[in-house]
This record gives sequence, C-alpha cells and structure tokens, in this order.
Amino acid sequence: MPIQSILRYPHPVLKKLCRNVEKIDKTILSLIEDLIDTMHDGPGSVGVAAPQIGVTLRVCVIDVSKNRHGKENNHGLLRMINPEITARSGSATMREGCMSVPDYTGDVERATEVTLRFTEPDGTVREFVASGFEAVAIQHEMDHLDGILFLDRVTSIKTGLFRRKNY
Amino acid sequence: MHKSEILHFAVTVVGKDRPGIVAAITEGLFNLGCNIADSSCTMLGGEFAMILIISLKSPFSKTRLIEELKPVCDGLGMTLGVRSLHSDEVARKEINDEICMISVYGADQPGIVYHVTRELAARKINITDLNTKLIGTDEAPVYVMMLEVALPDGETPESVEQMLAALKKELNVEIGVREITPVAF
Repeated sequence: MPIQSILRYPHPVLKKLCRNVEKIDKTILSLIEDLIDTMHDGPGSVGVAAPQIGVTLRVCVIDVSKNRHGKENNHGLLRMINPEITARSGSATMREGCMSVPDYTGDVERATEVTLRFTEPDGTVREFVASGFEAVAIQHEMDHLDGILFLDRVTSIKTGLFRRKNY
Repeated sequence: MHKSEILHFAVTVVGKDRPGIVAAITEGLFNLGCNIADSSCTMLGGEFAMILIISLKSPFSKTRLIEELKPVCDGLGMTLGVRSLHSDEVARKEINDEICMISVYGADQPGIVYHVTRELAARKINITDLNTKLIGTDEAPVYVMMLEVALPDGETPESVEQMLAALKKELNVEIGVREITPVAF
C-alpha cells in the first residue's frame, strides 16, 4: 500500500502532537517508503509528514530538488526521523498552501536558515544547515509533527487562488 | 418532487465605520440560515465595506433577503446591495496561472490606476486583488497601488515588467513585479 491518501483538516490526527520514534524497525522503514511514494504522487509536492497519512510519529520526508524554488539549493531527498531544528535565523514571507488544507493559501513568515538534526533510516544522525526554500519546506513539514498547520501562522490570508472547484 | 437547490447572492454593505456592523449584518444572515461562502470586509477611509457571497437552500428569494437586511442597514445608516448569482457565476474558476504582485507607487496624479490596468487588460491579465492608498502629505501626496494578477500562458513577471516600462517612465512612478504564486506543501 505505497501511495496513501492525504488526510485533510478537520481530521483530528492533523492537530495531534506526534511521538518520537523509539526504534527504527520495518514499520518505520515502510512508513518512510509510503511517505516518499505519497509525496511523489502529489502534483508538485515537496514534502509529506507522517500525520498527513494518519501516523502520529515524528517522521517526514522532503525533496525540493525538483521544485523550481529549490533546485539550486537543496540536500536532495531527506528521510527524517525525529527531526529537530537546533537553530534558526533570518525571516522571510512566502505564500504557502498545504495538501491537508486545500483551497486556502496564506502568507507565512519563516526563518530563512535552519540548523537541522535528524536520524536517517540507517540510524546515523545527520546535522546540517538548510536555507531558502528547503528551509521553508522543513519548517512547514516539522510543524505537522507538532499539530501545527500553516493556518496557525498566517499573517494574511488569500483564498481560492488555486484548485478550488466551487463553494 | 421539487429538488431543493442552493441559491447564491452577492451582498454589499457600505457605510460609516463603527464597531458592531459585522455582528449586526451577520445576525440577520444567521437568522435566515445563510452561509457566508466568501467574504471580504475592510475599512476604506472612514467607511466600512462588506462584500459577501452568501448561499442558502431554496425556496428563498432576493426579496426575503432584502426584507431581513434592509432594516438592519437602515438602522446603521448603511447602503445595501443584493444581486442574485447564476449558477455559472458561482463555480469558482480553477487558477493554475502564475500569480504576481505588481506594486506601483509615486507622486499622486490622475489616471494611475486606469493607465496601469488598461495595459493589463490589453494583455488579458486578470486582476485577482487590488488595493490603493493615498499616503504622504497634502503637499506631496503619494499614491500606492498593489495588484495581484494571474498571468496567462506566455506571460512572465519579466514580460509584465517590460510591458509596463514605458508607462513607468511616462508617469514617473515606480513599478515592480514579483512572483508570489503559492507553494503547496
């Protein structure tokens, strides 16, 4: 069951605080594969967090390398287990949308640079600094692990500028 | 059997700003069982302007809506406008175009909005949002216009900026174009 359907708000899982992964086992590895398949299935999707497919664990995947905003500056496909942002700096506003909150877009302020630490599926801990669009994607996906949606961070809302079918 | 359908109306309410306008109008809508499907309400100068797209199940009539809202508006000294929407007006277009912000500002003069939007219209560039504000001093008034536009195929922020370059010179205003297409995560 590789491609999972993306849960949409008001599904309660999207507002839950996710638990840390204690042990990387088969379930976690197949969860990561599902997240990757689901991300690749979404048109233009650059990341999916576990709660978006109904799993309340601190796992997410990100790949901005194929996106025009991220292709020049990225770390490729990131499989992130128990990710943490240990430092952040700068600030910029970008208009965001989310597959779990269709029909809404809004301006959100994010750090422009984040120091990220997470565990890889093979157990190694990786730490690096991400910036620009990749940093925005990381902050957006990691918010999902804390039950935070971009709607919680919007400074000005714009509705209906994409993919809204009707009222 | 008569099938109940959803009716849509565009409602506008404009008048002198004060606390309680939205509550009074939406109380009337709530009493009628209306949904507010889309809305934009803002202060313009000392006026408060509400634009609402409301929906509700038939049987219902525009007359009934006006009957409910007119006394409320009269009490507040506000002007009411109601228009019935056809079903083909209600279906919102899917926009997959690039969205751009165009900022225009400079010494106030007649025709800034007209001259800029005329150029956009000629290129079939659709305005999705437009705000203007008169700022500065009485001696040196400055006009600021912010437009959000959807670019049709073939147009880019650069092509729009290029297209407006002559106008920028002619009106002696600043014109900037930048892409703000939302990113869906």
